Amino acid sequence: MSVVTESPRGNCVLGGINAVLGAIDKICPIYHSGPGCCMQTSAGEAGLSGGRSPHFLSGVSLPSTNMLEREVVFGGVDKLRSTIEGAVEIIDADAYFVLTGCTAGIIGDDIKSVTAEFLERGIKVYPIETPGFAGDSYLGYEAAFKALLTYIVEDNLPKQENLVNLFGIMPYHDPFWAGNLEELTRILRKLGLKVNTFFTEHQGIEAIRTSSSAALNIIVNPWLLKGAAEEYEERFKVPTLRIPGLPIGATDTSTFVRRVGEALKLDQALIDSVIAEEEEYVYNFLETAIGALSWKRFAVVADANTAVGVTRFLANDYSFTPIITIVTDPVFRDGDKERISDQILKLEYANPPKLIFETDQYKITKALEEYEEITLLIGSTNEREIAMKMEIQCSVIAYPITDRLIFNRTYAGYRGSLTFVEDLFDNL
Amino acid sequence: MSNTYSGIRESRPHTFNDCGGSSRELSSEFGKRCLKAADRTFSQGLQCQQINSMSALMSLEEAVFIAHSPQGCVGCTSMATDIYRVGQAHRGVKLIKNPRIIVSNLDQRDIILGGEGKLKEAIEYAKERYHPKLIFIFTSCASGIIGDDIDAVAREVQEDSEALIIPIHCDGFKSKVCASGFDAAFLSISKYILKGEKLPKQEGLINLFAPVSISYKDQLEMERMLGLLGLRANYIPFFSSLESIKTIPAAEASTSICKVFADEFMKELWENYEIPFSHTVMPIGVRNTDKWFRGVAGLFGKEAEADLYIEKEHARILPEIEKIKQRLQGKRVFICGGTGRSFAAAALIDDFGMELVGLETPTYDDDAQTDIEYLYAIHKDFIIDIANMQPFEQINLVNRLKPDVFIGVPVWSARLGIPTTHVLDMKRPTMGYDGILYLGNKIADQIENPGFNKKLAKHARLPYKKSWYEEDPFKFIKPLE
Repeated sequence: MSVVTESPRGNCVLGGINAVLGAIDKICPIYHSGPGCCMQTSAGEAGLSGGRSPHFLSGVSLPSTNMLEREVVFGGVDKLRSTIEGAVEIIDADAYFVLTGCTAGIIGDDIKSVTAEFLERGIKVYPIETPGFAGDSYLGYEAAFKALLTYIVEDNLPKQENLVNLFGIMPYHDPFWAGNLEELTRILRKLGLKVNTFFTEHQGIEAIRTSSSAALNIIVNPWLLKGAAEEYEERFKVPTLRIPGLPIGATDTSTFVRRVGEALKLDQALIDSVIAEEEEYVYNFLETAIGALSWKRFAVVADANTAVGVTRFLANDYSFTPIITIVTDPVFRDGDKERISDQILKLEYANPPKLIFETDQYKITKALEEYEEITLLIGSTNEREIAMKMEIQCSVIAYPITDRLIFNRTYAGYRGSLTFVEDLFDNL
Repeated sequence: MSNTYSGIRESRPHTFNDCGGSSRELSSEFGKRCLKAADRTFSQGLQCQQINSMSALMSLEEAVFIAHSPQGCVGCTSMATDIYRVGQAHRGVKLIKNPRIIVSNLDQRDIILGGEGKLKEAIEYAKERYHPKLIFIFTSCASGIIGDDIDAVAREVQEDSEALIIPIHCDGFKSKVCASGFDAAFLSISKYILKGEKLPKQEGLINLFAPVSISYKDQLEMERMLGLLGLRANYIPFFSSLESIKTIPAAEASTSICKVFADEFMKELWENYEIPFSHTVMPIGVRNTDKWFRGVAGLFGKEAEADLYIEKEHARILPEIEKIKQRLQGKRVFICGGTGRSFAAAALIDDFGMELVGLETPTYDDDAQTDIEYLYAIHKDFIIDIANMQPFEQINLVNRLKPDVFIGVPVWSARLGIPTTHVLDMKRPTMGYDGILYLGNKIADQIENPGFNKKLAKHARLPYKKSWYEEDPFKFIKPLE
């Protein structure tokens, strides 16, 4: 059930699906929707996560049926057919996915029958029938994975012992998605692993197709992709390792390494040497700038992944005092809330922060206002207003971001934690 | 708007949104009224009117904006919060605020059972949280198709509400032309705020209508120029207020900065409030700035003052333009823009002696015809693509025509290695006499220093098959039966 929300932290189902498809090389989304959805979903995800857009197709370059009154009244199936024909003719993609907008969903156009016509001709056109109003962009993220599993991931492939899938970081939603995936991939490669992310290094349909042969699904996220994980387990016997938050800093990243190593029964000596080398790299730098950041009492307003990673790193590894953490994801399962609470409330030394789950901007602001002692607010561009009012330092790192350009920057893992500390430096 | 105008731009006679061909051919057919209504059997994404309605009003003071829609429909407005925030920064505001955007978040259940309950809840939040003067409700495809009665809810809530509750009918699927969204906003302003109430005229007050895409520097320049004629601008609706809107009927005249913004509203102000208006061009470039300025001056009988000023400005600017002209003379240009800017840009390149080889603009109507006839009198025959973006056609044309520079949204043509520059920059000056120097230098510099685009082109990955570049770019435009 969707609730009335001020300044929502996400888009609709199409936004989530488009964010995923846009990050896969040579995939063509086709919108069967009203005339605004291409722009709205692109602006609502890529446009709010660090200023980049998919190079292949995005916004007004996405093929669309641009449904108008005529289609709503008489049905849009013919328009859809000719739109797919055109897309297939001029766009050089490995696969085409039809997304269902509100208009198509409400009037009940039979998209599957149209895409089936193309499949019969050997053209890879697939329907994703979850309509825009079915939920938010997180549901879209999951619907996209469901579609990939249904149509692309191949069965009966020989297992690759050293191949892992790295999921959980949502492209064009997590503003640091590319850098985050790159840093975690770098570390996994040091463990001798091959990594499928689907979204980096020009990975495309091949990586998705062969993902069933992986030895492990590493899901870096405390609550998303439950359905996809279960399907990989049931259909392809790929076990799941859930990392309940983005690992930031030496402690949590080393835990990440150990857990991956354990799950894959990697050589202990290798695990230990990677950890030793990476931790030394981090502390090499930290040792040269002790006390450069003045002590802070911090608040975090972010998606679950970021909220967990940031709260833990700053409290456990950097000795900042956590005051309040607000998880802005619409987490609805109790088990997930517990998992997230576990991570945020069980800290090594510090008293735990107040933890609340809230997506509404007004309520978020009100919650922050109660804590006058906050001296550092880590959140989204929307938090700048309250930070200015309370006259406190504001670090903008979480969706939605409108005032930063982010290429491969990351705060995750070992190296990212150094960048994070750099960016927190406030000379005032 | 004339009382018969529905707010949907396609309903205006002789309005075409899908055609392409040479300027001579199209203008001849249009002139003979032989141009056929057509549609594209394949197209890329457009822009819905809800986007325009929300963007037009987003910066109003003491207002809350409710999108009665699923969560997706606030995508563009969420991204546009940047313009609101930056606009405050440019205007020296210390405590920069977020716009107040509430989405009713229609879901499966609401689609079946109706979403009016959620709308009422959203309105309650708006009232309790902010005690605003204005609460706007924007409809969506979903709310429109399921038939939620926004007007009834607004009427009901209005009874116990100090805030003005204003419904705006901007369902996306109702119009192909996103500028209809501007009309939808003004239709509601007229109905719910102005209400036909006439006011005594304030001397020297002129309504200046401008959309969100105008930068603060441009606003200041326009106001300065009006000040030279002894006029005071009532700048609507960007960074404006309920008071300013209520003052609209007190103005002696109206004008707009963008050709498709408020043009219908200005007609209504004339018909119902006897406020004359000047509907000319967007003041980009010397010729257009002259025209815009003279148009306004004419409303007040101040043509002589205007001409004096124009002469002075010409004396100042034309030598500077001549310098830039030396660098740009004869360069071939392809322009893509919205209705206002595309023709404005085309006139501007004339100031620099450049040659127009292609023009992409969303609407062909009587206004466009005037501009196109003017243009092909000074340029050789050029290609016209009547399209709202449609990058697949644009890239085909630009690849064929190989202009020396492309003016418009650069993200596709840049990847062909062609120098590119925006003419729509919401944060920097483009208008008036100084704006053209900024633009001219920008264009000349990009042509002389094209390193970025050239190198990018070697690595770029455009999505189109090679075969597409050989095809007729207009092949998907088919006349309607």
